[in-house]
Amino acid sequence: MRRQEAVVMTVGAAPEAGHDAEQPAGLGCRERGEPAGPQEPCKQWKKFLYCEPHKRIKEVLEEELYIKRDECHIKNPPAEDTSSSGCGSTFKERSVKMRRDVMDLDICTREKLAHVKDCKTGSSGIPVTLVTNLFSLDLPPDWKLYQYHVTFSPDLASRRLRTALLYSHSKLSNKAKAFDGTVLFLSQKLEEKVMELSSETQRGEAVKMTVSLTKELPSSSPVCIQVFNIIFKKILKKLSMYQIGRNFYKPSEPVEIPQHKISLWPGFAISVSHFESRLLFSADVSYKVLRNETVLEFMTDLCHKTGTSSFTQECEKQLTGLIVLTRYNNKTYRIDDIDWSVRPTHAFQKRDGSEITYVDYYEQQYNITLSDLNQPMLVSLLKNKRNYNTEPWIVHLIPELCFLTGLTEQATSDFQLMKSVAEETRLSPLGRQQRLARLADNIQRNKDARFELETWGLHFGSQVSLTGRVMPSEKILLQDHTCQPVSAADWSKDMRNCKILSAQSLDKWLILCSNRAENVIENFLNCLRRVGSPIGFNVSYPKIIKVQENPAAFLRAIQQHLHPDVQLVMCILPSNQKNYYDSIKKYLSSDCPVPSQCVLTRTLNKQGMMMSVATKIAMQMSCKLGGELWAVEIPLKSLMVVGIDVCKDALSKEVLVVGFVASINLRITRWFSRCILQRTNTDIADCLKVFMTGALNKWYKHNHSLPARIIVYRDGVGDGQLKTVIDYEVPQLLSSVTESSSNTSCRLSVIVVRKRCMPRFFTEMNRTVQNPPLGTVVDSEATRPAWYDFYLISQTTCRGTVSPTYYNVIYDDNGLKPDHMQRLTFKLCHLYYNWQGLISIPAPCQYAHKLTFLVAQSIHKEPNLELANCLFYL
Amino acid sequence: MTTPKKRESLFHPLPIGGAVPCRCLYYKELFCIYSSVVADSLVATWRIHLCFFVSTKLGNKMEEKNGQCNSVIGGNFEEVCPEKVIKFKPPLYKQRYQFVRDFVDQHKPKKVADLGCGDTELLRLLKVHPCIQWLVGVDIDKEKLQSNGHQLSPYLGEFIKPRDLDLTVTLYHGSIVERDSRLLGFDLITCIELIEHLDSDDLARFPQVVFGYLSPTMIVISTPNSEFNPLFPTVTLRDADHKFEWNRMEFQTWALQVANCYNYSVEFTGVGEPPAGAEHVGYCTQIGVFRKNGGKATESRFSEQHDQHVYESVYTTSYPSLQQEKMLKFVLVGEVLMLAERLRLRHQRMLREQKGSGAHPDSADCSGAPHLILGAVFTEAEKARIESSPKPFCEGDKFFIPLRRLLAYPKLHRLHVDEERARSLIADSVQLSSDGSAVVDDLYKHWDYWPEDY
Repeated sequence: MRRQEAVVMTVGAAPEAGHDAEQPAGLGCRERGEPAGPQEPCKQWKKFLYCEPHKRIKEVLEEELYIKRDECHIKNPPAEDTSSSGCGSTFKERSVKMRRDVMDLDICTREKLAHVKDCKTGSSGIPVTLVTNLFSLDLPPDWKLYQYHVTFSPDLASRRLRTALLYSHSKLSNKAKAFDGTVLFLSQKLEEKVMELSSETQRGEAVKMTVSLTKELPSSSPVCIQVFNIIFKKILKKLSMYQIGRNFYKPSEPVEIPQHKISLWPGFAISVSHFESRLLFSADVSYKVLRNETVLEFMTDLCHKTGTSSFTQECEKQLTGLIVLTRYNNKTYRIDDIDWSVRPTHAFQKRDGSEITYVDYYEQQYNITLSDLNQPMLVSLLKNKRNYNTEPWIVHLIPELCFLTGLTEQATSDFQLMKSVAEETRLSPLGRQQRLARLADNIQRNKDARFELETWGLHFGSQVSLTGRVMPSEKILLQDHTCQPVSAADWSKDMRNCKILSAQSLDKWLILCSNRAENVIENFLNCLRRVGSPIGFNVSYPKIIKVQENPAAFLRAIQQHLHPDVQLVMCILPSNQKNYYDSIKKYLSSDCPVPSQCVLTRTLNKQGMMMSVATKIAMQMSCKLGGELWAVEIPLKSLMVVGIDVCKDALSKEVLVVGFVASINLRITRWFSRCILQRTNTDIADCLKVFMTGALNKWYKHNHSLPARIIVYRDGVGDGQLKTVIDYEVPQLLSSVTESSSNTSCRLSVIVVRKRCMPRFFTEMNRTVQNPPLGTVVDSEATRPAWYDFYLISQTTCRGTVSPTYYNVIYDDNGLKPDHMQRLTFKLCHLYYNWQGLISIPAPCQYAHKLTFLVAQSIHKEPNLELANCLFYL
Repeated sequence: MTTPKKRESLFHPLPIGGAVPCRCLYYKELFCIYSSVVADSLVATWRIHLCFFVSTKLGNKMEEKNGQCNSVIGGNFEEVCPEKVIKFKPPLYKQRYQFVRDFVDQHKPKKVADLGCGDTELLRLLKVHPCIQWLVGVDIDKEKLQSNGHQLSPYLGEFIKPRDLDLTVTLYHGSIVERDSRLLGFDLITCIELIEHLDSDDLARFPQVVFGYLSPTMIVISTPNSEFNPLFPTVTLRDADHKFEWNRMEFQTWALQVANCYNYSVEFTGVGEPPAGAEHVGYCTQIGVFRKNGGKATESRFSEQHDQHVYESVYTTSYPSLQQEKMLKFVLVGEVLMLAERLRLRHQRMLREQKGSGAHPDSADCSGAPHLILGAVFTEAEKARIESSPKPFCEGDKFFIPLRRLLAYPKLHRLHVDEERARSLIADSVQLSSDGSAVVDDLYKHWDYWPEDY
């Protein structure tokens, strides 16, 4: 999905690209406007087709900028009466509740996989030396973390007081320590297992503290990892960085984009983790987007723009869900609602029960005078982090004292804005490497940072280099031609005028367009037929229906003219307003299943690019009719590959859209796609047994046997969900497979795919740093000891740094050698028909992703089963 | 919270010569003593102190006796307040801090130091005061300073809406009885609940350093009032680390001597009002406010020349402010763009209304949207200033807003930037007319919201 917004960016970036008509589609544009970072291809596609850009642009950038909303955790509930203690209680939350990604690390899947128990590395391919964003962290060989339990007598409620008393005790001074109120961690053992310490409060009350040893933890234990992460948090704060969410930013060195009222704060996402053989520190560059305006200013502006009639509604729409930063402390809050009935002059009850108006409170507490006494209140619901069952409590925030972070929906649809943001945040491998080097240097040189590390016995070492392997490039198989692409990133040139594997001819179809678009149609149809015949896709003349320029008219016309023998409906839309697209797609995917193709009038007006536009559309339409474009050589016979992805429904957050796409022929060119909407709070799929059985039946119908091997790629697994996938989803798949194949044996493998992962890899060449070549595999050092996992780089980026895709084989009956598993995965990245080139994840995953996105954004119900055999969602 | 405004009225100067009349005023809430006697010589000062310490020690013993005597009064008190435990609301320490904050609000010091700053809470409260530009904390507990230092760093929001004036916050590790020239020339030094932690040697050196050497314009010293102690259930001293706790007499005697010696005047007050029926014990915390006679002296300038750095700087941070060109530019450009956009939309609406109904356009530049008035409302003076500046105008589809117009709006006016400077600051971020006198923009933009569209 993010690729589409990319598209939009491309459109703006190179609108006058001026390719001659003969040039294959979208080639040149790529060099110009593409965003860096995690890239996928269909951006070029969508450039010419319909695009609903807002959400997508945002997603690309959010990914690039690491602006994950749910990451903006609120650290401590804003006690009304406490003075602003900045970045308070990070530690306690962490030690009491495991961080979710750390939780995953506890799961050992590799030990159950006999064939990789001893060795999970491959050997084929050309070795390549890679620099990483990982740094070694060395500990003395016998290093241990000592965990103590501390009780206070008399018991003290205040954690602050507990900490102050314990820390000030002479037995503990000058020792490295971390304490959350009950659990104390030390890097040195105390003389006795149970120690009684006594201290006095300022009031002179004697307090007895009993410190008893509960655990000795080796450095690889998850608890230890968390303590290390806390230590590094402290260190980054010493380097004058601020924690926002999980990352650290430096607001004193901002990148300003004044024309868009935006500041970008540079920073890092960091973590300490136990990788394959040792403890490593990883860091990646991240940016925080800050709006240089208060919420009040934003509201005032909006009011000016919209007028009063629709103001409140529009305001709620734009603001809810955004994260704000308050002026008087360093906390962030999510806007959940706006309360128009409460004013700053109203009183609220403080913790101690007394009443005070908001104006007076801010005056007294923070010396802030509110200028606008009519402003409404922002409402934020705070959940108790330690106890999820308690009612969330409501906090009122003053718009005048809140700054917006991140980008509003409106901002993300502003192409110029997004372009400026991307320009600043897109870092070349060299730029990234320099930032990392500077961070490492700062950590090593800063006196306080060094001291902190030393007291814990840690040594911050050098940047880790490792050896990866580059897999050979793949041949692309077409109907009567095999091509070895010049670049695996884009073979559109190589396959120009080659016949695609199979195509249905398009005989009966409709075009709906507004009067204004009429004049472009003839030219477009000409082009379509000119590009169609050489690739083997024959297009007849359609029935053209003129309609008025509104969504209802389009829908009415479709309903009126749609006969059962119509193969495809094309709509030429006057604007990219979402409701055109949504209503058409909803009707044609669900109510009355016919493949549909939406194109913007604007796209067809670009004279110079007509041929490339037509080529793309021709290919896409032929896929929608069930055609096959190309294949790669796959030595495994009788292999079914499956992609699964999940996505939250855009309308209702409780609805999860699960997409399932399985190959149904031996060449792996035809797909069976299912999608379901599931009411749930977790991102765990419920319906996999039904889907899998359906796919096996389909396979049986096509091949008169069952597949010998099934490989499932599961995308969309969040932090902390690995265990549920293993315990809940794998059994569903397995039971379907065993039930279906009573006499033959189907072997199943399940691989979790992650596009977002910490490690980055660079190659050093001629004293500069570059992205690694396509097909680079890393299966050592940066991997995890308990898992059968590897990284694969299967996409290119012209600007910016490529991010590898992470694969974790959690279940494997197939027993393929790691070499073969890696190679197969790489091959599958070639098969996405929306892009003539490699993509970052295996094609079935990308298909599942496209499908769920369409359903979650536009259709909001299950697509009709009749469409399951074609890629109607491309 | 506390009652901030009330305190101003507490300072009723009562000119009294000498220390004797104190007794007469014993039961008054507060009294002030103006001492104009300058210390004759250093030797004399020493002598005074030596005598004084003898009396302090005696005083401590006496205090115990006092406690016993007072228990009778305590008995009376029980009838009034049966739960015995006195709880202050807001807590006493907050009342002390609030006292300092009110004092700062009233006197607007530029350079403020807090001696014995501990966990830096007072500094955290003081840093929000716009008048303060240098804020220093000194303590002997290095670990406390280290672990609390980062809490004094600017809030994230201050990088978006910076302060008007620079602010540097520094924490020093060191003993307050040592001389460090970096603390010279301060407007206010606070010693909140500090002196009672000093042993007799340090207490003897304290006035020399703080009054004699550092010699700030104002000093605020607070310390427990031992007369209040009997009202607490068990305590003899309020903190284990307290070396002594003085009654009002003892504190005032000491304070007057010091004030005399170093040419300061002193007023006494306190926080933590006694409960009804026990008014005679006075405030729970007694406070002495010292002011240098003849205002800020110049002698500190001299001593600045021989730098004496004995304190270790543990933490230091500088705040972004409008005094920094980078920040000024950032804020100015932001405000100009925001205002220009607003004026553009207003102009658009005006044109639309003119076209639409032929009704008289809403030409009043300052009127907001009809019902919901968001944003500050202008005062008459502000309105007049805006009205008297050149008006925005259109040429073709370009919209021009004279810089002078923009600078007349309060948000920009308060930055005190003249037209010339503003021009040079915004030139590379904002599109200006060819003569540089106005900001130019397209009157219509593709993203403008048109109600007719729907």
